Amino acid sequence: MKTKIATLLLAAGALAGCVSSPSVNTVQNAQTTGQRNFIQDRRIITDRPFSRRVAVLALNTSMTPGDLLKVQVELFNRTGSIQRFNYSFEWFDLNGMQVDNSLAVALVPDQINAGESKFISAVAPSSACRDFHLKLLQAQAQDQDQ
Amino acid sequence: MKIKVLIPLVSIVAAVAVAGCSSPNAHYIQTGGQESVVNVGQINIQDFMSAADAATGDLLASGVLNRVQPPPAVLAISRIVNNTSQQLDTDLLVKRIRVALLHSGKAVTTTTYGVGGPEDPLAAQMQGESSRAPDFTLSGKIIETYARAGNIRQATYSFQLSLTDHQGLAVWESDKDITKQGARSSVGF
Repeated sequence: MKTKIATLLLAAGALAGCVSSPSVNTVQNAQTTGQRNFIQDRRIITDRPFSRRVAVLALNTSMTPGDLLKVQVELFNRTGSIQRFNYSFEWFDLNGMQVDNSLAVALVPDQINAGESKFISAVAPSSACRDFHLKLLQAQAQDQDQ
Repeated sequence: MKIKVLIPLVSIVAAVAVAGCSSPNAHYIQTGGQESVVNVGQINIQDFMSAADAATGDLLASGVLNRVQPPPAVLAISRIVNNTSQQLDTDLLVKRIRVALLHSGKAVTTTTYGVGGPEDPLAAQMQGESSRAPDFTLSGKIIETYARAGNIRQATYSFQLSLTDHQGLAVWESDKDITKQGARSSVGF
């Protein structure tokens, strides 16, 4: 019985494409010079398994020379396989109204290697932007028409 | 008894199988969204959107446009070369950048200067002598690179853009690569 279950799990894993990939080793200078302006976040999690696989570690912001808000988000892949995802940023003004951004409707495809820490960032489309939402979705397998 | 249970079960399975095999009805999707079709062999709309988003964010973050006094900076669109094997309208890239820059308040685009004549000939005729000359020109190139290993096909599309000032210096440049990979279908007709 146990063998059957193990075989089924292996088959399911293979079908889902959960093939393990080399994990990323990271090294950095111990005394960092740059100071990140970390901010607190509020999360709405609807895909808990994905949020466990790809964790949002930290958010920090800065202002660009053109007085635009820049957001950087640190992600970490806790699994032993590559994780593919899509993301998009939405921006809001001082009154909480969404700022029109024709480019933001597209989801940006990205991937993160096993054990990797990765930064994604975006610049606000105008100086009116004060707040933001980051949307993270696990990528779906695509039909391939070549 | 067993047959009584099996008949509805088989019916349900058959119904699900038939529903799964039928092609979906025509429906709207979000442009550039998760349901968009992805092709290895061609540039999809979400690729243009992604490249334009990256270039615009990079240009706004660079602060180059803020050096112009009085703001906003005036841009003229120069040649955008399509070096791919596909026939495509480069406005799919450039127009998105123009719209985003206009909304940012950092730059406006002139429609009376352009390679091969003004974009808006009537506006060019109406233009007075006091009109402002462009501060920058935007030029670029779209390049494709293909690779294949066995059944796997890969395509990289490079979106290269340069912003040149009136001294002829490229004061901002961007190179965004989008790589797609897929296996050729084993079933062919």
